[in-house]
Amino acid sequence: MNRSARYWLIMAAATAAWGFSAPTPRADETCLSPYTAALIKGQEAYLHVWTLGEKGLGDESDKLVTIDADPKSKTYGKVISSVSVGGRGEAHHMGFTDDRKYLWAGRLDDSEIFIFDVGTDPAHPKLVKTITDLTEKTGYVGPHTFYAIPGRIVIGTLSNNETRDGVTGFSVYNNKGEFLSAHPIPTDNGGDGYGYDIAINPKKNVFLTSSFTGWNNYMRDLGSLIQDAEAMKHFGNTMVLWNLKSMQPEKVFSVPGAPLEIRWSLKEGDDWAITASALTSKLWLISHDANNDWQAKEVGTIGDPAKIPLPVDISIAADAKTLWVNTFMDGKTHLFDISDPTKPVQIYEKVTGKQVNMISQSWDGKRVYITSSLLANWDKKGEDNEQVLRAYDWDGEDLTLKFEVDFTKEKLGRPHHMKFSGRQDKASLEIPGRTASK
Amino acid sequence: MRKARARAFGTLCGLIALAGLVETCLSDPVNSNADLALPAPGSYTLDHIQRVPFGIVLEGNRFPRMLSKYTTGAITLLAFFYSYCADPNGCPLAWETFEQIRQAILLHPGLYGKVRLVFLSLDPVHDTPDVLKSIAQNYEEGATIVPWHFLTTYSYLFLNPVLRDMGEEISMDREASSSGNLVLNHLLKVFLIDNQGWVREIYSNQSLDSATILGDIQTLSMHAHAAQR
Repeated sequence: MNRSARYWLIMAAATAAWGFSAPTPRADETCLSPYTAALIKGQEAYLHVWTLGEKGLGDESDKLVTIDADPKSKTYGKVISSVSVGGRGEAHHMGFTDDRKYLWAGRLDDSEIFIFDVGTDPAHPKLVKTITDLTEKTGYVGPHTFYAIPGRIVIGTLSNNETRDGVTGFSVYNNKGEFLSAHPIPTDNGGDGYGYDIAINPKKNVFLTSSFTGWNNYMRDLGSLIQDAEAMKHFGNTMVLWNLKSMQPEKVFSVPGAPLEIRWSLKEGDDWAITASALTSKLWLISHDANNDWQAKEVGTIGDPAKIPLPVDISIAADAKTLWVNTFMDGKTHLFDISDPTKPVQIYEKVTGKQVNMISQSWDGKRVYITSSLLANWDKKGEDNEQVLRAYDWDGEDLTLKFEVDFTKEKLGRPHHMKFSGRQDKASLEIPGRTASK
Repeated sequence: MRKARARAFGTLCGLIALAGLVETCLSDPVNSNADLALPAPGSYTLDHIQRVPFGIVLEGNRFPRMLSKYTTGAITLLAFFYSYCADPNGCPLAWETFEQIRQAILLHPGLYGKVRLVFLSLDPVHDTPDVLKSIAQNYEEGATIVPWHFLTTYSYLFLNPVLRDMGEEISMDREASSSGNLVLNHLLKVFLIDNQGWVREIYSNQSLDSATILGDIQTLSMHAHAAQR
């Protein structure tokens, strides 16, 4: 009897008196780790916004702000909870654990990492642990990307504690918040050692890293930084392809001008990723060539690179046909047709703020959210320093504003990274309350 | 690397075929995505992710046994399951992969007696020791080479702390269960555990590849062998 036949015979016997289960989710929203559970394919209920505290505003502390995103709710578009973590340490990015029960949020200045329970009651996240040993364990500074793999989080960093330039690495922690290992970004074979984002393609046993700049630059006032020719040389110009199983670098790509967020196509059968370089304002495609070798290729331009629009975040559609791009300096949200990823074409743009940074879209692409803050010392000054979250509907032709939260008026701070949660069905949390086996 | 592995498999199959075990060599039991470009076994290290927690389990009867009895002293592949689970991305996927690993180990004499397979039930009410014993009987052949243990617990009081520690959340799917058939939501996770009781790799339905698992098993075996010398 072959294996499958034996399995199904056993299953048939075992299920004779019992039913069959429903499939579990396999995918996720468009920019999350492929290992993340509980895809929200319908209406997201909550937006979690990792927010930088601002001196003289409210409690001045970094905080996780949760906003009601369900149009059917009485508190739609309102802040429904806020968890301050104490101090200001350049709050930046977040990432879910694989079970989506916990949200890890990092600070680029003091390298502290906060773990929030968002699974028990997503409307009211709870801070359950603070990790303070990243620099001690790894020598790295500036935890940026939090990327789930089964039972663990991979943390991409931006800098190091010795020179505070962009030479860095990534580390792995288990879901309990315990350090496991550290892995330097290569400085040989064309590598510059710089880090930023991480994105895994499990089907190919590979992942990509991109490169930004170190603590010396990202904690410095942007105006003076741009005037400092020497400092401007210290930006990443590479991406690295890694073997996922061995966590060893396999190939370094030259991608000039600080390649930032990396998005793999989620379309079945696709094996390419796209990124945007911040300083050169280009779109780059990472894919196989005719010889089945991975290559990085410049495929498009965002705005007028001469004006340094600074593309800072991208969001790929679930069907990989379109890509949203936010450019910080001109406050524009762009949409590119990437149905042929080798030839992206801009099909729409709109000014969505005086400064715009992060952009997140729902799985169905019908809702788009943007935030304003890039880095505390890089945000614009005076009246241009608006600090908002804006929620739009996208009907295929235009973005329509549905609500906005003014983080300055609300005395919250500077909104940066966003993550979605669904409404928790508390009944589903019940473990079957059945008695002991007989 | 994959070509070398295929050649080695072919040679091994030839020897086994001579011994009369033709059926097992009709095809490579390790069904893998050829695009994975896996590193050679032993050329990489696996993190010590966490220790397997304390637990009391049952096998075959209601006599209590330490979970560590099944997670130390050999390389262990452990999955949570329930016997009537039919989610194609859940237990059946794990079951099929365990079958492939079991067949592969039968073809790797160097791994004989070094690997065990463990299924631990998520439903101690239905999956009594007697129920699981009837399933385990299907795998008695070859059990001295690669045993497959089907474990359960007295109750959720005993099971839940193990699940919590290993990050395996479960819940009842009320909608799917409304017809009277219990459905448990759970993330598919398969744990590779070294002979000291450390979890060294965790596979999800995105990474449950039998060639990957076999390479990891060989890696742990090679490193354990090197450490003993």
